[in-house]
Amino acid sequence: MRKAINTDAIRAALSKHGLTQKELANALGVSSQAVTNWLKGNDFPRPATLLKLASTLRLTFEQMVQTDNVDRPVIAFRKKGNAKTTNAHVAKAEEIGILLKPLVPYLTEQQALRTLITSPSIDYNKLKVAVAQTRSRLGIGEQAVLEYEHLIGEFKNSGAVLIPVLWGAKQRHENALHIRLPKEDITFIFLNLDTRLEDFKFWMAHELAHVYTPDLSGTTQGEDFADAFSGTLLFPRACAEPTYHEAIQQASAEGVIRVLLTHANEHMVSLNTVFQQIKLFAKSSNLVALEIDERTIHAVRNNNQGPLISEALFDPMPPEPKRFIAACEHAFQSDFFIALKRMIHESGIGASYVQQVLDTPMQDAFALYEELRH
Amino acid sequence: MTLVLLDTNAYLRLAKRITPLLGVKFGQKDYTLTILKQVEDEVHKNPRLRFLYPWFDDPVFAKERIITRVRLNKNEKEQLNAVTSVLRQHVLSNVDTYTSQGRSPPSPTDCFILAFGQIRPAIVATDDLGMHQLAKDFSIPIWHGHELLKKMLSAKCINNDLVREIYDAIETNNDLPRTWKEAKHTVFKKIFGPAA
Repeated sequence: MRKAINTDAIRAALSKHGLTQKELANALGVSSQAVTNWLKGNDFPRPATLLKLASTLRLTFEQMVQTDNVDRPVIAFRKKGNAKTTNAHVAKAEEIGILLKPLVPYLTEQQALRTLITSPSIDYNKLKVAVAQTRSRLGIGEQAVLEYEHLIGEFKNSGAVLIPVLWGAKQRHENALHIRLPKEDITFIFLNLDTRLEDFKFWMAHELAHVYTPDLSGTTQGEDFADAFSGTLLFPRACAEPTYHEAIQQASAEGVIRVLLTHANEHMVSLNTVFQQIKLFAKSSNLVALEIDERTIHAVRNNNQGPLISEALFDPMPPEPKRFIAACEHAFQSDFFIALKRMIHESGIGASYVQQVLDTPMQDAFALYEELRH
Repeated sequence: MTLVLLDTNAYLRLAKRITPLLGVKFGQKDYTLTILKQVEDEVHKNPRLRFLYPWFDDPVFAKERIITRVRLNKNEKEQLNAVTSVLRQHVLSNVDTYTSQGRSPPSPTDCFILAFGQIRPAIVATDDLGMHQLAKDFSIPIWHGHELLKKMLSAKCINNDLVREIYDAIETNNDLPRTWKEAKHTVFKKIFGPAA
C-alpha cells in the first residue's frame, strides 16, 4: 500500500491550531525539512513520528494519510430491510477482510477455473438465459427445486469460502457479508444463520450472483443484479408461467395467496420471491398482473414466518462449539474452521483474532478458539 | 507520579490478591496503577469473564476502580481518537506480523489502551504479545504482567508468599501466559528456584 501525507489536511490543521511548519517540526522533534518532504510527498513519517503528528494535530489516520487502495478488500452487504450502510459498516468489513488475508494460505487450494457472468443484466429475458445455463451446469432442470446443496457446491467451485455465523436475528445491519480479496483472488461470504428459513436460500443465491460477477462487487449495479438473478434462479420462468396461470384463475385473493404459498413452500423460498417472479413473468409476457398488492403479500409473509436456519440446524440453541464447527464443515462444506485451526496451531494466534474476524462476542470467540486449539 | 495502565487480563490476574491495588504509589518513580472504563465494560459485557472472576463487582473492587479512574478532557479524547486510529491502521497494514509468533492483532480496544499510554503518558501493563509488538513499533512504554509484579516485589508492596500465591492461582485457572512461565524460574528464581 502506497502512503502519502494528505497535504491539504495537514495545512488546514496547522491553521486551525495556529501552528507554523517550524513549530510543528519542533513539537515532533524532527527538522523543518522533514516536514517539507512529507508535504511534498517525497517522504513519509516513521511510525512513532506519525503517532505524534496525529496527536499534535488531532487528525485520524484516514484524515492525515492518503493511500492508493490497491489490494483493498471489496465489500458487499446483504442488508436487512431498510438498514442504512454507513462508512463505519464498510470500514469494519474492510478490517475483517484485511485480517482474513493471513488465513488464506491455510485454506485448501481454490478453483482457478471459475464461472463468470460476463454481461450481467437485470432484463428478465437475459436473466432467463443466465439462469438456464446455471441450472444446466448444476444438473437440474428449469422446473426442479434448487436445493441448498446445489448452491453450496457452486460456492466451492467458484473459489468462495462460506463462513456461517450466528449474528442474531435483529441486532445486525446485514444478513450476509461478502468480502472479496482481489490480490488473493478469493471471496469470503459470511452467512448469518439467524435468518428465516424461507429467506436464506434467496440470500445464498444473491451471494452466488456476486461471486459470478466479481467486477460488480460493492456497486449498486451489482446489488441489483444479485437480487434479480437470485429470484430468477430460485423460481425461473418455467416455474413462474404455470404458477401464474394457476393463480390468475382463482376467484379470490385468498385463492391466489394459497397458490403462491404452495409453490413457495415447494421450492422453500419466500412468498415474496414467488410473487415477484410472477410479476416479472406477467410483465415480460404482456399479461395482466395478478390482482394482489405487495402489502398483502408482506402481511401474509409476516404471519407465516418459518423457523430460523440456526434453530432448524442446531435445536437446541445455542449449539456447542464442536457442533457448530462440524455443521460448517459438513452442511456448508466450508474449510474455514479447518484453516483457522491450522493457523491457531502453526502461528499461535489467540482468541482475539477469532473474535475480530468473526465479529462475534468474546465469549463465543473464546469457546470456538478453545475447541479449535485442542 | 508515573501512571501504569493495566489491561483487562493484567487487572484480573492481580486485583483479587493485591489489595489495595489501584491508586497506590510505589517504587522510586511513584508508579501508580489504574485501569480504564473500557476494561470495566469488557468484563461486564463478557459472561465468561464474569463467571471466572465473580469478585469483580464486589463493592470494594468497584469502589477502588471508580475512585482511581482517569478522566479525560475533550482535547485528550480527540488526541486519543487520532492516535488509536494510527495504531489500528498500523496493525492492519502489517497484519502478517501481528498474526505470527504467538501474536494476535491488537483489537480496537487494545489500540485505545496503548493510545492512552501515549497521550497521558502511562506505561501499559499487558501480557498480550501483539500489544507488545505494537508498543515496540511506536516506542510506547510497556510491561509484561510479571515485570509489574517484580517492580511491586522490589518496592516491597508485595512479598514472596504473595507472588507464589498469585502464580498458583493463575496456574490453577490455566491462565499462565508463556512470558510468566519463562519468568517463573528466571525473574523469580529466588522464590521458585531454577528451572528443573
